[in-house]
Parts: sequence; C-alpha cells; structure tokens
Amino acid sequence: MFLALKEIKHEKLRYGLIIGMVLLISYLVYILSGLAFGLAQQNTQGVESWGAQRIVLDKDANTSLQQSLLTKSQTDKLTLSKSESYVGQSSVVAKGSKARNISAQFIGLDTKQYIAQDMKLTSGHQVNGANQVVVDSQFQQDGYKLGDTLKFNSKSQAYTIVGFTENAKLNIAPIIYGNLSTWRTLKNLPNSFTASGIVSKNAKYTTGITQLKSYDVHTFIQALPGYSAQNTTFTLMIGFLMVISIVVIAVFLYILTIQKLPNYAVLRAQGVPAKTLVQNTISQALLLVSGGLVLAIALTALTASVLPMGVPIGFNLPLLAVITVGIILTGILGAIIPVRLILKVDPVSVIG
Amino acid sequence: MSVIELTNVNKSFGVDTSKIDVLQNINFSAQKGEVSLIVGPSGSGKSTFLTIAGGLQTPSSGQVVVESETMSQLSPKARDALRLRKIGFILQAYNLVPYLTVAEQFQFVDRIKTQHNLSASDLNALLQDLDIANLVKKYPSELSGGQMQRVAIARALYPDPEIILADEPTAALDSERVAVVGQLFQDLARQRDKALVVVIHDMRLEKYADHIYEILDGRMKQAS
Repeated sequence: MFLALKEIKHEKLRYGLIIGMVLLISYLVYILSGLAFGLAQQNTQGVESWGAQRIVLDKDANTSLQQSLLTKSQTDKLTLSKSESYVGQSSVVAKGSKARNISAQFIGLDTKQYIAQDMKLTSGHQVNGANQVVVDSQFQQDGYKLGDTLKFNSKSQAYTIVGFTENAKLNIAPIIYGNLSTWRTLKNLPNSFTASGIVSKNAKYTTGITQLKSYDVHTFIQALPGYSAQNTTFTLMIGFLMVISIVVIAVFLYILTIQKLPNYAVLRAQGVPAKTLVQNTISQALLLVSGGLVLAIALTALTASVLPMGVPIGFNLPLLAVITVGIILTGILGAIIPVRLILKVDPVSVIG
Repeated sequence: MSVIELTNVNKSFGVDTSKIDVLQNINFSAQKGEVSLIVGPSGSGKSTFLTIAGGLQTPSSGQVVVESETMSQLSPKARDALRLRKIGFILQAYNLVPYLTVAEQFQFVDRIKTQHNLSASDLNALLQDLDIANLVKKYPSELSGGQMQRVAIARALYPDPEIILADEPTAALDSERVAVVGQLFQDLARQRDKALVVVIHDMRLEKYADHIYEILDGRMKQAS
C-alpha cells in the first residue's frame, strides 16, 4: 500500500485520468441501473404496494389484468377473505384544468376490501362516495390539489380528487384509484362483470373455478407488457459495460505494469519479495477503483437530485451494493492479469 | 572468514555451436573487512559474475556459498530473503524508486526489512558523508546523475548488509566524489567489517582495494 499511495500521489495526472475513467464507467453503470430500477419500479410499484402474492385472472387473458374480466356468476361462488381484494383495471386518459392530459391506469376497488382499507395516503381521505378518486402523487406534482376534478377519456362525468397516495404506478403510468362501478362505467361494462381480477396476499390462494387461474406475483409482473424485454435490455447493457470495464481497467494496469517492470526488477534484485510487488499492484488497483467509485456515487447522487421528475430513476441499496462490489472485483481481476509479468520479472535484466 | 565463495563456477548461454562460455572455472572468495575490485573490459563477464555471486542467476556448474548457505540448495524465496538480509546491491542503473523521495526510499526499506537497518543517526552520518543530507525531500528526477548514484549507494547501505555487491558504483561520479565513495567503502570494510565486491571498468578505486581481480574472456585472475 505504501508504494501504491506514494506513486498515486506523485503521478497525479496519470492516476487522476485512470480514476476519471473508472468514475465515468461506474457512473454510467449506476445511472443505467438506476434507470432500469426506476422503470421496473414504475411498472410494479402499485402491485407491490398491494402486498400481492397471487393474482387471479381469467385463464384466457394471457396473464394480463387489462384483458381479464371476472363475471358476477363466477364471483358469486367465491367468499373473499380479508387478504383478497377485487381490482378492475382500465387504461384512461385523465383530463383536468391544471395540466396536460395524463395517461393513467384506473384501478377500481371495493372500498370495503383490504387494498382500499390499507392504502396509505399522503393527504385527503379514502374514496367513500360516488365520483371520487384517490390519485398518485404525480398528479400533485403536475399541479392538482384535493378537490380538483378529472374527466376520463371522452366521458363527461367529472371525478373529484379526495386523496393522494405515493408509489402508485402500474405499467409506468400513475394509478387513479376509484370504485368498481366507475371502472365498469369506463369499460362500458354491465353489472354482470365484477372486476378484472382478484389480488391476494395469501401465497396459496386459488378460487377452485376452472375458468380462473391463479398466478404468483412474479409470473404476473414478468408478463406485464414490455417489462421483461426492458429489464433484459438493461441487464445486457450493464453486463456489457462491466465486461468492457474489466478490459479497459486491465489494459490500463497492464500498460502501467509494463512501464514499471525495470523498477520492479531493481527491487527484486534487492530482495524485495514478488509478493510485496503483487500486493502493491492489487492495492493500487483497489485504491483507483475505490476512488473512482466514491466520485461516481457522488456524481450519481447529484445527477439524481437534478433530474426532472419525469425521468424514472430509482436506487435500491442492495442492487447498488452488488454493482459496487462487482466493479471492485472487476478492478481486482484487471490487476491480477498483469501479475504474471511481475512474477516473471528478471532482476538480472537491470545489471550489466 | 569468507562470506562469499565461488568454487569452479562456469556459466554458459546457448547450446552446441551457439554456446558462449561467459564465465569459466571461476574461483573467488570475499572476506569480511576487505574491498575486492573486479576489473575488466565491457563484455568480459563482470556483471554475470556479480549476478551469480548475489544469487540472481544460477551457475551452469560449480557452487556459490553465501554466509555458509549454498545458493543452489535454496528456494527462490529463500534466496530473496537472503539477499534482503545479507546483500546490498549498488546498481549501475541506480536502485531508486522514481516516485519516492530520498527519505521515502529509506522508509520503504523499513517496511520490507523491519529490523537491523541503520539507526537514524547512522543514516544521517552516511547522508552527510555522501553530501546528500540536503536532498531528502527530492525525487530522483530532481537529482543529477552523481546525486542519484550517491543516494543509490546510501539506499544499498541502509539495510546494513554484510556483503555489498556494487556494479560500476562510481560510473557517474567525478574524481572528487570517487574519492569520497572509495573512502566510504574502505571505512565500511575496515570499521564495520563488511565485505565489498566492486565491479568496475576503470582503476580509480584501486587505492582503496585490498584485492584486485581481473576478468578477461570469462576467466578470472588475481591482479594484486
């Protein structure tokens, strides 16, 4: 570590450039993973906020809540416990006086069931009457207040915002919670339809009705339109970046090591163990990568704080920790590649 | 008492028609308290002799014993340890780490050999003798060739080795500095009981030597 620190201190420009390179690669990985996580969150926040373990849908709905319909004749056979809740989903365009039109997901709920009962509001109250809605806080950021009204699609009926809730997104769109009769109105459905599906907190919940199929929440989320493709794309990009960073860091350390071989040969001639020189190379790589990572984390935090609200960036500490450890391991791997050169250095080469 | 002893040492490179005998039947011993000069023209085998004596190379045949330890019987790691404890190399190409100041060159030695290095007062006296005490905060790139050579000598002497092997240690020095280094070598031998083996191509250190050997075409003979 002594040699590593002294060398970095003496060769500030050279090592500054390497730290800068690690910073840029790490920054890119952090931002991409933040965007990937943010987008994934906006796909699933709503479902996760319900604490859902199973989703019951029509078996022919292709695992899509949007496409599923449960009929009254089916649901009449069921008795839902406190862990189940009917949900009706409909994509809507919300229009109001305050802002541009907002594409949103309307979720109709039975206000006596757990999702509506357990919903955490940041302001206002639960839906307790006709033509009332609770909306995601994005509407608040767009200028809406309690008491403002919204109209949906081409319908003339106005709905009053009576509450705001956070983390209410589905398919990257803000959720508008209302009751199931409003959902039927928006879908132009008669009363013979109860909901789109049943959400259950019970991991073993099934209905016993052959036309209805119970999916675990993971399967349901993976089937959300675009979710899987989007995550795979980001994962591949981050994976490629990690591989590229191994190559770039390894090439830099390899070139640096080659430049230092005459010095190492002298030190080996003096009896300095190869182990000391190898430790020096690896600790130097660790210092450079750690320095780059600290700066990248600071820059990422700064970027996240100034990004517009519309950019779906989100950070998950375990994910960030995995990425950080991954980049540090990448640096160590990059440092190990030129170790062979150090072990093979010939002290005789510097004499005579 | 011999601290380095080479017996019937041969070193050759290549095979058959391309075989070159660099050292032939070398018999040499260095004693504590003495300065031995090895002189010879360029390409005569002086440096190869030095690397074999210091355990950096193994001979093609023959035996090298350093402080009662037969080099060929030691593992590379044990040879490294022996070099670190017992042998100080002064190299023609200097032995300074470019990104350490003069003071840090000694601090680095403290980190890899934690005991039996020169005391602070002895180091200071050595730096004064070599007229480099005022250079301790400078990097090698800020020193002249002669200053670097003197720092390199101090660096090699700092671990207080029993044996000092020097490869052209005065090559970059003027006659005045050669006299200082020559006297220092003689004092180290006489007063501190060191064995010094100095490979050199000129005779400016002749008057400080106890023995002078000549290597010519790989063969050694005692000149005086």
